[in-house]
Amino acid sequence: MDIFLQQLANGLTIGSIFALVALGYTMVYGVMRLINFAHGDMVAASAFVGLTVYTQVMGQATSLFSVIVIFLLTASVMACVGVLLERLAYRPLRDAPRLSAVVSALGASLVIQNGIMLIWGPRMQIFPELVPQVYWDLGGVVISLIQVIILALSLVLMVGLYLFIEKTRMGAAVRASSIDQDAARLMGINVNSVIALIFIIGSSLGAIGGLFIGMYYRGITFNMGWQYGLYAFIAAIIGGIGNIPGAMMGGMLLGLFNAFIAGYISSTWADAFTFILLILILIVRPTGILGERVAEKV
Amino acid sequence: MAHNELILTNVTKRFGGLTAVDALTMTVEPGQIYGVIGPNGAGKTTVFNCITGIYKSEEGSVSWRGEEIRGLTPYQIVDRGIVRTFQTIRLFSQMSVAENIMSGRHIKSTQKWWHGIIPTPGSRRDEKENWLKVGELLEFFNLEEFAAIPTASLSYGHQRRVEMARAMAVDPTLLILDEPAAGLNDKETSELLEVIFKIREQGVTVLLIEHDMDLVMKVTDYLTVLNFGKKIAEGTPDEIQKNPLVIEAYLGSEDDDDE
Amino acid sequence: MKALQRFSYPIFFVIMALIPHLLNPRWQAVSITFLIFAVVALSQDIILGKSGMFNMGQALFFGMGAYTTAILNSHFGWPIIATIPMAILIPALFGVVLAGPIVHLRGDYLLVVTIGFNIVFVQVLQNNLGGLTGGPNGIFGLGSLSIFGLNLTSQVAVYYFAFIVFLLTLWIMHNLEKSKAGRALHYLREDQLAAESIGINTRSYKIFAFGLGAGIAGLAGTVFAVQYSAVSPEAFEFIQSVLFFSIVLVGGSSVPGILLGVFVMFVLPEIFREFATWRYFIFGFAMILSMILRPRGIWPATFGKIPKFLIKESKHGA
Repeated sequence: MDIFLQQLANGLTIGSIFALVALGYTMVYGVMRLINFAHGDMVAASAFVGLTVYTQVMGQATSLFSVIVIFLLTASVMACVGVLLERLAYRPLRDAPRLSAVVSALGASLVIQNGIMLIWGPRMQIFPELVPQVYWDLGGVVISLIQVIILALSLVLMVGLYLFIEKTRMGAAVRASSIDQDAARLMGINVNSVIALIFIIGSSLGAIGGLFIGMYYRGITFNMGWQYGLYAFIAAIIGGIGNIPGAMMGGMLLGLFNAFIAGYISSTWADAFTFILLILILIVRPTGILGERVAEKV
Repeated sequence: MAHNELILTNVTKRFGGLTAVDALTMTVEPGQIYGVIGPNGAGKTTVFNCITGIYKSEEGSVSWRGEEIRGLTPYQIVDRGIVRTFQTIRLFSQMSVAENIMSGRHIKSTQKWWHGIIPTPGSRRDEKENWLKVGELLEFFNLEEFAAIPTASLSYGHQRRVEMARAMAVDPTLLILDEPAAGLNDKETSELLEVIFKIREQGVTVLLIEHDMDLVMKVTDYLTVLNFGKKIAEGTPDEIQKNPLVIEAYLGSEDDDDE
Repeated sequence: MKALQRFSYPIFFVIMALIPHLLNPRWQAVSITFLIFAVVALSQDIILGKSGMFNMGQALFFGMGAYTTAILNSHFGWPIIATIPMAILIPALFGVVLAGPIVHLRGDYLLVVTIGFNIVFVQVLQNNLGGLTGGPNGIFGLGSLSIFGLNLTSQVAVYYFAFIVFLLTLWIMHNLEKSKAGRALHYLREDQLAAESIGINTRSYKIFAFGLGAGIAGLAGTVFAVQYSAVSPEAFEFIQSVLFFSIVLVGGSSVPGILLGVFVMFVLPEIFREFATWRYFIFGFAMILSMILRPRGIWPATFGKIPKFLIKESKHGA
């Protein structure tokens, strides 16, 4: 029972990180029908950017103010990178065959991943301890302050995004563009700005996810993006691609699944089991659990 | 002998709450040119999709030469001699006209999958024979000069002809044409008319959907009229033209078309 | 131009046949690597380029062939040459079995699932399942190739083994182009519904493509195992699959384009070794740039492979 509760707490933490990253994938796929392979590497890059902001800008301060600045600055930098990425690597290929954009996304992923390596070096870096190490022992189950913060902040961000998408005009424009870009354009929606917007939101959320990864695991490497990116994309598929609440649920589910595999079986098999889960879900429900929200062109 | 025809009995196809085809019954006799007409959204293409296996009707039976074919996949239905064209022409657009027509020879070819890896004298002969057949079809449909041209760069009228040539390459018993005259000019339409008659001369039964009433009245032997998924009339072109229900359905729909 | 095309292949083959006698051992090894990866990339082209299925797990079949040879040789004492049929059949069989439940999935899902297969495979290798795969270190000290009592240990001999496999692959791809099965793959890539409606059982041809692509990649795996006399999991990581995937698309799914892609990805880095750390950074930019400038690839495959007599007739008519 202790293992169960402990892995539940761990799973929810890592699940909320997956969910934050998955939102970036699902929104981009929803509007552009493109797997943004570079998103995972952007997440990795944000951990390194956060590290640099901490050492170079904030003079290694760990005050609340410093943490807020690190988060805001990193998210802004990554939002700019995201918009730039779309402009340079994806927009020129919007009318090209779909596979061309996939290759471009893979290329962008290689550029960002190896860009991190060239700037920060190939070796693992240690992310600063931004939050004091506070633990609570709840009868055999240990929960840390950082876990509580990750979970709480992720929930706030996700609820905020959900409300934004469902209740605001801009959100309606995003939803309309995912259903039918051409019709949305005819109705006077500026699809280019919608796409810029989803790259800003997706990259910022991914950046926060990347900072969480740094804070939670501490060790960060230039090539960790693929791993998180792939998991987050699987989360997006499990939840039904293009479906925003689906991505949140998929992330949580995948985090829990992983934690329980690690707790009860072995972490060396976690990847294998995750993919087997994905394959089984896709065979049974090819459009994910909550159903996809993209219209295929027939 | 006795059952050499296509019989639809009480075929019903629903999409969610919408009944696209409602208890349709019709019989296409061998050698006929049979027309299905009706206003937009009457469910004509859905009927064709149910016959050719793209959809499976919820109820009813589709019987072909005494065999129940409802529930078979599209390629199994082609195997039984029923082949179709599409309203929105579906060619292999990057490939040449000749290759497109060759696709129709697929089921007639005796090659097995391993011949794709290691050819045998038999498979080479088969390959040659089928290309010769493609040559004949190019001639029949007057497409020889376009043999090596990708279909995407052809005019609409030529694309229609390639699609029919591709269907005829199957050596079908029943040819289903979904609005073959859509988008054609007068000259192309009259050429189409000739082609349809020539196809019938070869002993092929033709089932077609058409909007062009002049064409339908000239070419068909027998007609079924659909409206809102239901059959409202059937008979020879003369009978149909006099049928008050049909006139009403079409006059009612004219307004919709004008919008 | 036409003369150039007619002679380019023979010239290429002659150069390739002479290469081991012109190069020092290091470059002989590079040439062998080129041939091996060219075969894998061509096998990937059957699935991705010819049939249009988004397969990003080709390194799995490549690795399966290599491991089949290694396991049969080191654990069961089979001579290398005897492992070849198994190194083709086992991956081909896996290709068929794995493809069965997933070929109906839409492009991007298929892509993620095949990545998944690749990752599961590598994890199985690393965890030394059944005590056969040797874990993270893999299997080393394999025997050398011998045919009819001739022991082919020299690098030149391995080169010719790789060259024969390469020629065999080109021959198969040539045959495929001129067969019903090969055309069926093109048709289903262009328009699946139209292909189905003209009588093609698209599902079984998709599975055929996977089986054939997997078998050829498996054979390349044997050559790989012979060349290094060792196999280890990291050579078959899914990043390798990403490279094969990109080579086919950047190349344009044509033989010259793919060979060029393999050359750029695997041979150029050997020439510019001092830029090793910049390798993937530059490739990434090159991939983006080439797709923007030539969305259908640098050397796009051409269609219209129809018998000459059909074209001649048309000139008569016109």
